[in-house]
Amino acid sequence: MHERHACRSAGRRHPDPPAPGLSGTGLVADDLYLLGHDDRSGKPLLQPRALGTGLAGALLAELMLAGWIGLRPDSAVVFVPGVTQDTVMRHALLKQVADEPGPAPVRAWLRFLARSAAQDVALGLEEAGYLEHVRGRVPRSQGQWVPVNPDWALAPMLRVRSALDPARPLTAHSAALAGLAAASGLSFRLDQYQTRAGRSVQDAVARLGPGLRELIAQTQTAVDSAVLSHRT
Amino acid sequence: MSTQAVLAPPSAMSRALARDRLGIPAVLAFILAGVAPLTVAAGVIPSAYATTGLTGIPAAFIAVAVILALFATGYMAMARHITNAGAFYAFIARGLGRIPGTAAALVALLAYSFLQVALYGAFGPAAAGLAAARLGVQAQWWEWALGAWAVITVLGLLRVDITGRVLGALTAAEIVVIVAETVSGLASPAGGHLSAAALSPSALTSAGFGTFGVLAVVAVLGFTGFEQAPVLGEEAKHPRRTIPVTTYLALGVIGVVYAGAAWAMSAHAGNSHVVAAAAAQGPGLLFGLGSGGLPQAAQWLFLSSLFAAMLAFHNCVWRYAFALGREGVLPGVLSRTGSNNIPKTASLAQSATGLAVIAAFAVAGAQPMQDLFFDLGTTGGFGVLLLYALTSVAVIVFFARNPRQEGAFSRLIAPALAAILLTGIAILAVMHYGTLLGVAPGSAAAWALPAGYGAAALAGLALGLVIKVRRPEVYETIGLGAHAASFQAGTVFGGRS
Repeated sequence: MHERHACRSAGRRHPDPPAPGLSGTGLVADDLYLLGHDDRSGKPLLQPRALGTGLAGALLAELMLAGWIGLRPDSAVVFVPGVTQDTVMRHALLKQVADEPGPAPVRAWLRFLARSAAQDVALGLEEAGYLEHVRGRVPRSQGQWVPVNPDWALAPMLRVRSALDPARPLTAHSAALAGLAAASGLSFRLDQYQTRAGRSVQDAVARLGPGLRELIAQTQTAVDSAVLSHRT
Repeated sequence: MSTQAVLAPPSAMSRALARDRLGIPAVLAFILAGVAPLTVAAGVIPSAYATTGLTGIPAAFIAVAVILALFATGYMAMARHITNAGAFYAFIARGLGRIPGTAAALVALLAYSFLQVALYGAFGPAAAGLAAARLGVQAQWWEWALGAWAVITVLGLLRVDITGRVLGALTAAEIVVIVAETVSGLASPAGGHLSAAALSPSALTSAGFGTFGVLAVVAVLGFTGFEQAPVLGEEAKHPRRTIPVTTYLALGVIGVVYAGAAWAMSAHAGNSHVVAAAAAQGPGLLFGLGSGGLPQAAQWLFLSSLFAAMLAFHNCVWRYAFALGREGVLPGVLSRTGSNNIPKTASLAQSATGLAVIAAFAVAGAQPMQDLFFDLGTTGGFGVLLLYALTSVAVIVFFARNPRQEGAFSRLIAPALAAILLTGIAILAVMHYGTLLGVAPGSAAAWALPAGYGAAALAGLALGLVIKVRRPEVYETIGLGAHAASFQAGTVFGGRS
């Protein structure tokens, strides 16, 4: 049965949502979700597992950008020293990381989170006012999430564009977004902004820290492996 | 990670991931679907009888099953230690070096391409015959072939894969039908007396020692795909157990089913008449073993089997191109995906090849079953044989550097035996390639087709060398396939072994 109100223990994605608009929620996974769906119909542009894996990477990237987790050299996900118990309690995903008996490799996290990432991010976007849930016409169908405002849904494209425009300053958020979008298979959407004179996605990603670079690469590998093993 | 996972109690994550994983039945279904049993039983076996004129085909399946079991032992052992274990060139790159690996990649691409386009040569006539007999529709084999080509092209672009359940059900039905026909055929042998002569080892060389090579290539064609279990390595429950178990099971099932079917055809027609009967009846040689509704059911399943195999090999070729493009060995445009994660360029490239071949054979007025299906199909099988042989050598060298706690049988004895036998078969096959194709020994096809692999290998060696010199960072990732991206990032942390 479609669980619209999944477990909402500590850690709503947007505890204090700003009013929805062109500047977005400031979260990478939210932007990636909107990038991965049509801005009018809300239809996904990616296969389910590719979308889920990309969003899983984005959820982890959010924690990395906030400075709470990092990757060990063996690619296991670990807390950054100095993360307080209070912080962990306030974020559902951090709590899940803390609940694991030991550090797990990022590939395992990507597989695990991919299963529910799209649902979780969509629920958060609905809360923040970017998506609305529309019942399907067929009874008992799941229905789908449709953007409330197509301009807001298209705004993440502009953030990616600014990452690829050498005249604009590069932010970690937009570089990570561009990298994860390419890793999930959305390069075809980014192509129009990749010019000879501009930055390529690779160039933008290369400016990120080693943990984020590794995360994006592992996301790419996970998506490609799903393509190659026929399980998408 | 591994010691941590073994010692710690199962976490919420590991339990959740375990639920997703595939068990032995699912992996076995995946392998058998790729092998397309009815395509071999009704397509390859009668064509082999007719084209080569050899009757030792049943024995060949048994002999090759044993040889491939030896191959599989070393192959599984090495698969546990490398990434991208679904592709032969990964083994060869890790074992023998990246430049031979590149050569192997191009040989594999050529072999799988042969296998894919060859299927049109069987689908066309089968569809034409069935349509004429049941629906009263008259059309040329190549019109049906082009129709199938168009559907495959569209399905490939829409990123449609036949779902696992449908494929599993069809494959199970195929095996049931083959076994039913086999039993029926063995129950009604020519002359009322069933002889096991066709199964004995002496049948392998009864027409001359060298013909064993020919028979073995036919058998290898039948087994092609049995080794694909490692593709699902990450997806399987208890991979260390599931992968080998399903592989040996697949070998056993395939070997028995094919040997049985080939024997039944020979027994039913009479050992001395089977070649003529095969030439006259083609796939009907299998269908006619049964009675009642069985032949007709078999004919329709034959079409669906061929179609599924065409789609499977189409996917196989573009996945190879995709992985090689991701590494940078082939142009990167092949690894680009369009919407819905479709690698359009790779898919279209394979489709273009298919179209060109169908057109060429149609214009030349060739015999589709014999010239397109059997000749190109067995040449594809020959390429796979070369890859099996080379992979066995790669396994030995890989473990010679570091035994990695694998037993001597797995890392040395079995692959050595397999390498020797497979190489011997390859040499015999080249010497008697004319017999395989059913043409005179000196004719052009008899040297041109095997030489095609020589050309692909040389091109691959040259390509590998060029990459090593001009793009060393790409050279480092040869063989890694999808993992090329993480390897490159991993160098940030000091590189990986």
